[in-house]
Amino acid sequence: MLLSFAQFIQSTAFFTELRGSGYVYPVILSLHMVTIALFGGMILMTDMRLLGLAMRSYPVSDVIDQFRTPKRIGFVLMVALGVLMACCKAEEYYYNDWFRLKMALLAVVALHALIFRRRVYNRAAELDQMPSLPAGAKLAAGISLVLWIGIACAGRGIGYIEPPLDKIHAQFLEAPTASPQGAVTTAHRH
Amino acid sequence: MLVYDPSTNPLNNNDWAFPLLEILHIAGFAFSIGTIAIVDLKLLGIGMRNQSSAQLLKDTMPWTLVGLAVMLMTGPLIFSSDPNMYLRNESFRFKMGALLIAILYNYTIHRKVAKSNPSGALGVVVGGVSLLLWVSVVFAGLFIAFV
Repeated sequence: MLLSFAQFIQSTAFFTELRGSGYVYPVILSLHMVTIALFGGMILMTDMRLLGLAMRSYPVSDVIDQFRTPKRIGFVLMVALGVLMACCKAEEYYYNDWFRLKMALLAVVALHALIFRRRVYNRAAELDQMPSLPAGAKLAAGISLVLWIGIACAGRGIGYIEPPLDKIHAQFLEAPTASPQGAVTTAHRH
Repeated sequence: MLVYDPSTNPLNNNDWAFPLLEILHIAGFAFSIGTIAIVDLKLLGIGMRNQSSAQLLKDTMPWTLVGLAVMLMTGPLIFSSDPNMYLRNESFRFKMGALLIAILYNYTIHRKVAKSNPSGALGVVVGGVSLLLWVSVVFAGLFIAFV
């Protein structure tokens, strides 16, 4: 079911074109990395402020509230770029353990938001009034830090797994019209 | 005669060493470029309205330096895994040029202007150039694998 959806989505004209394009794909990848620097940097700083490791001269609410909008924009961009790349190689990634781990960690991030958003992130002004940050806030920050570092690591890992060519159908789907570029990308290092 | 043979490099004889270095390299740039970008965005008038750029610069600087140090330690190690390939790679050469300019720019013009809490156009130009420089470093880094 999921596999046939993956095969379908990557065989659409749009993603076939994108996969075969010489430079569009690496540009998307680079932009994805740029969002890591922008959006990831703000996550790091927010978490480290909560842990008391950085920007300590700022009220917690200043850091959390002022980063909120740019972080959301960055997150949407990052996910959009990620989805584009994932759809290009959906079938191959279906088998990729690092990709699966990354998706699982992203699900945990959603869970993290569900648990801690109300308790910590939406109560920044209250946190300012407290003499010391409650353990719950530090726990939230610590978990967030570990999750996002894990996601970055898993993301890097995706590229290290060779596509299981014996299982992949897309190369046959593409075969009649495949450009030399497209063939090279599908069968990357072979 | 001394000839460097990359196949003797421990990096090329261990499955985990290279990916680990890459991850540290990425974490390094999340810290360094991430913190620089916070100041740049402030100069561009995005985010952090309650703080001045001078204040932001002062408070993010230690982490910028930590990130840069990690990048500049892991980078040459990654390079050592295949120097001949990197030296011939145009994207790599471009990256080294852009990186040099970006670092110099960051600790001269960028720093001076951010400290002066500029208003309007000057901040926009200086912050914009900084973002552009660092983004081009990231792009060139990735394109090493694609040129």
